Amino acid sequence: MSPEIEQFLSGMKKTIEEVVMPNLTDRFAQEQAGIVAASLGFLGLIQDKAFHYELLENQEYKRVLSAVVELLNNTFSAPESVIETTAKVTEHFVGDKVDDPTHLRPYKFIRGSNEVMKELLCEFIQQQPEMSTELRGAFEALMKPFFKSIELRERSWVKALGFDPEAEQQADIADLLYKDGFLNIDKP
Amino acid sequence: MREYYTPTLKNRAQPNAAWIESIRQQFPTETTLDEVLTKKLRNRSKTAEHKTDFSDLEARLFAYLKKATGQDDIVMANLHRLSGGASKEQFTFDLTWNLESGARSSEKLILRMDPSESIVETHRLRESQMLDAMWGEVPVPRVHWTDPVGEDLGHPFLIAGFLEGTVQPEGGDKASGLGMFFEPSLRADLKEQFVQHLAKIHTIDWRNKGLTSYDSPRENHLEANEWSLGWWERVWHEDAVEAHPIVENAAAWLRENMQTVEKPVIVHGDYRSGNFMYSDDHQINAVLDWELSHIGDFHEDLSYTTCQILGTPMDDGSVLTSGLLSKEEFLDKYQQYSGNTVDPKRLFYFDVFSYYKVAVISVATSSRAAYGRKTHLDAMMNLLSGFGYTGISALQRLLDQHG
Repeated sequence: MSPEIEQFLSGMKKTIEEVVMPNLTDRFAQEQAGIVAASLGFLGLIQDKAFHYELLENQEYKRVLSAVVELLNNTFSAPESVIETTAKVTEHFVGDKVDDPTHLRPYKFIRGSNEVMKELLCEFIQQQPEMSTELRGAFEALMKPFFKSIELRERSWVKALGFDPEAEQQADIADLLYKDGFLNIDKP
Repeated sequence: MREYYTPTLKNRAQPNAAWIESIRQQFPTETTLDEVLTKKLRNRSKTAEHKTDFSDLEARLFAYLKKATGQDDIVMANLHRLSGGASKEQFTFDLTWNLESGARSSEKLILRMDPSESIVETHRLRESQMLDAMWGEVPVPRVHWTDPVGEDLGHPFLIAGFLEGTVQPEGGDKASGLGMFFEPSLRADLKEQFVQHLAKIHTIDWRNKGLTSYDSPRENHLEANEWSLGWWERVWHEDAVEAHPIVENAAAWLRENMQTVEKPVIVHGDYRSGNFMYSDDHQINAVLDWELSHIGDFHEDLSYTTCQILGTPMDDGSVLTSGLLSKEEFLDKYQQYSGNTVDPKRLFYFDVFSYYKVAVISVATSSRAAYGRKTHLDAMMNLLSGFGYTGISALQRLLDQHG
């Protein structure tokens, strides 16, 4: 398939920067054209990684939700609302099984599944005040490395947008997504 | 028809009456904030994408000004759209009209108007009342007219005097004034004034300022902080285009660690570079963008203003608050000028709150506005998510540090 997406984006960016912007006289229009060019530059950097970003998230959310469900199944003190959310997780895993070859699914399926899993994890997080001290401690211990993984990945994803005062200290997104040439889905 | 991945996301994109009511009940906030947020939701599925063609603005504005002044012989000229900013649509124009004294007067004015949905949904009456309250206290533009309903121009607006000055120094241009760079001599001239004005804002007796559109929180009570958090939690749950565990966890932390506000003060809500202007002789001649102002804890402004991602990174690795001075110097000077004592525990609470607010505005609302094509800045709204996710990362690192 040719031209590749990167080539389309690069061509548009060049045209806007070198043909359109110099001929704009309105400052608001110039400002907006600059933002469009910057957006195209960003898309050029990340467009070939979007599918794998979602796929990695899919694997991580499945892993963490499975761990939460296992924790709750082994707890006698889980409150009713938490048990209801656990049932929703089990139901979701019928449609997107933990061991499914999800990498063969379309992007939109993965994206949709991820959104459901994010909402379910947020439900558990909202229910923390109802958990016993012991259960909450165990839940927080599961969340801590998971949150770290999210913030590192998201910060790397957006670092080229120019808002991060510590951008140089953030890993490149490719280094987080891939290990030994493959998607890094084996993280603990 | 757009695809909705979950029922929650469908409700946010196409809010029905029952869902709107449940959101209102779940996240109580101030009366007028509830008013604008509810209006936003009710309009969300009714209105098409935001119109950026303003070919009829001149005629509508002229008709409004004739009505507002009660004068048929006004002259309006030089209507131009302003660049800069990330929130409201702004235009300048010259108006000649008759003063009460009968003298003929010409003035350059600024029209500040809501888009269909904004990166922050705020109330023009609140902004107008706060600018009136600040007149004579700290330098602000003079408000002439306000339409918080939007009958005349299609959107709520206010019209104020246009002040000449510099917001962004030459070469210091950044989106919305974030990370702005000031030369050392300019820094030295501005930093004292920057702190003094905030100290002044926090020591004004707001109860005698006619702020009828603001709810008054009780002293030594959680109320002010409950309203502040309720405001941003509500906005997150109205606008987010995807759920986010870190943001959800931060909201839970903020609820559980909330403290009382001993003596509520006027909080600017967005006090930073980009929101003040200075004259050629390096005097701050306007404190701008009061739309997030409310009555609350002074630590809220201190944390937000000194928030690292809003600051300017220097070559030596330090970060200057609003590009002017270090956080330590800012807090020392603030205590000296205001007489308020900074409580580190409250400051930390609002450090977390500030990043939470950044996440809500720059991940949830900016993306939602662009998703619905509801602003004149859709491309910028997408780009600002970069600021928001950097904020979420900083938020998590802060909570990790707390243990």
